[in-house]
Amino acid sequence: MGHDVVESGERRRQRAVESLGLTGRSEERFDRIARLARKVFDAEWSSITVLDGDQAWFPGAAGFPGERMARDQTFCDRTTRAGEVVLVADASKDERFADLPAVVERGIRSYAGVPLRDPGGNIIAVFCIYDRAVRTFDEEEVQTLEDLAAWAQQELVSSTEMTRAGQVQASMQPSRPIQVDGWEVNGTCVPALAVGGDHFDYAVQNGIAHLGLGDVMGKGTGAALLGAGVRAAVRGTHEAVVSGVDLGVTVTQVARRLTPDLMRAESFVTLFDAAIDLDDGYLRYVDAGMGLCLVVRADGTLDRLDSDDLPLGVLPDDHWSEQSTTLRPGDRMLLFSDGLLDLVEDPEHWWEPVAELVLAHEDTTSLLSAIVRMAVDQVQLDDVTAVAVFRRP
Amino acid sequence: MIEFAVDTTPEGIGVVTPKGRLNMSSARGLKEILDGLVSDGTSKIVVDLAETTFLDSSGLGALIAGLKAARQSGGDLRVARPTEAVLTVFKLTNLDRVLRPRDSVEGAFDA
Repeated sequence: MGHDVVESGERRRQRAVESLGLTGRSEERFDRIARLARKVFDAEWSSITVLDGDQAWFPGAAGFPGERMARDQTFCDRTTRAGEVVLVADASKDERFADLPAVVERGIRSYAGVPLRDPGGNIIAVFCIYDRAVRTFDEEEVQTLEDLAAWAQQELVSSTEMTRAGQVQASMQPSRPIQVDGWEVNGTCVPALAVGGDHFDYAVQNGIAHLGLGDVMGKGTGAALLGAGVRAAVRGTHEAVVSGVDLGVTVTQVARRLTPDLMRAESFVTLFDAAIDLDDGYLRYVDAGMGLCLVVRADGTLDRLDSDDLPLGVLPDDHWSEQSTTLRPGDRMLLFSDGLLDLVEDPEHWWEPVAELVLAHEDTTSLLSAIVRMAVDQVQLDDVTAVAVFRRP
Repeated sequence: MIEFAVDTTPEGIGVVTPKGRLNMSSARGLKEILDGLVSDGTSKIVVDLAETTFLDSSGLGALIAGLKAARQSGGDLRVARPTEAVLTVFKLTNLDRVLRPRDSVEGAFDA
């Protein structure tokens, strides 16, 4: 049991590290902080250390080249396990560190390390200084070290500008669920970084609910910029869709508009676009390489709404075709991006765990809250977006 | 983390083997390798996915970009031996229509 807790804590920590999207190489913005720390403390070495699998690498290093090394040979591995600021005056006399090759072979004596955390509290790196001289750290020095560590943490995790961008992106989503005539349509999006490449949208007009979900390749700012364009292009077809124009035609128009941009950006978009007649439940849809829409029928049978159509932006002169089904009273539909796939047991047979999830909730709000909790609890690596449609029995 | 093995067969076909997870951070590395091969005149490329444990949309994007670059230079890019997890991603996105998985690296350019 104790061992399992450590294992799952480490798995969660590793996912948190991966979700930062770091390059695995040193970067000037981190080297700068390490250089400053080395100077301020007159220390021989300083680093920002990331533990990644069984290795340790250095986004920022000063005083040494910062080659990757085995994780279990680092001070920072032990600081990560301690989960708090570690100050060592003489490592050769400290049983926590005395056996490290850095102490035995390279003669390091003093060490100070501060764990760096993401907003979820996961330790994603350690900021530290080392020296061959024995030394102690007074209160003011510890304060300075923590200030520099806070800067490094901010640089690793996000910046205020990105936070603002995330707010703008969230404000572009529908603000409340649709609840009419026994229907509920609702959506949520949890980006892996401050902003993401997923988007969802829905609106009702003429008794038709037009809804969709798009996923731009990758994540982060580049994907978000393209995603805003996709959303606008699909919105541009709304009047036509609610007037009954074939979705194969409207999605192909969207693709014609976006493909030159996507090709230049070397990106592509998976998209699911649907229109539901709220009077009789007739559902028309186009699946452009998304493949992740499940209908859980009132009698418990499962239907996956997919197609052979490609994502947008892959081939220059492709086309898309409309398909259809009917949502009857008691049927529930969940449409989601592949970020959720990462979080379910057995992604190769995803419809089984996803159906269980859909059936475990009586309304769309509690279903989507559960999906958000899964994303947050497991520290998702990719944007997680979902749109749920419930038709009351 | 990920490593890439890069070989060229006696027939002049480039073989790239990503070992590990092909995600947003590692896809850039694959993209650079594929671009490098094409600009050095190797426009027939096989990406051997037997040791790729995970592929996300960025990894797919790097493969598609490599495919386009190879075709523009008169060659092609083919994928071989995808693992179950990777094959699932190809099938979901229907990109197995464009990047049809081959059973072996040696036979990837046979038909």
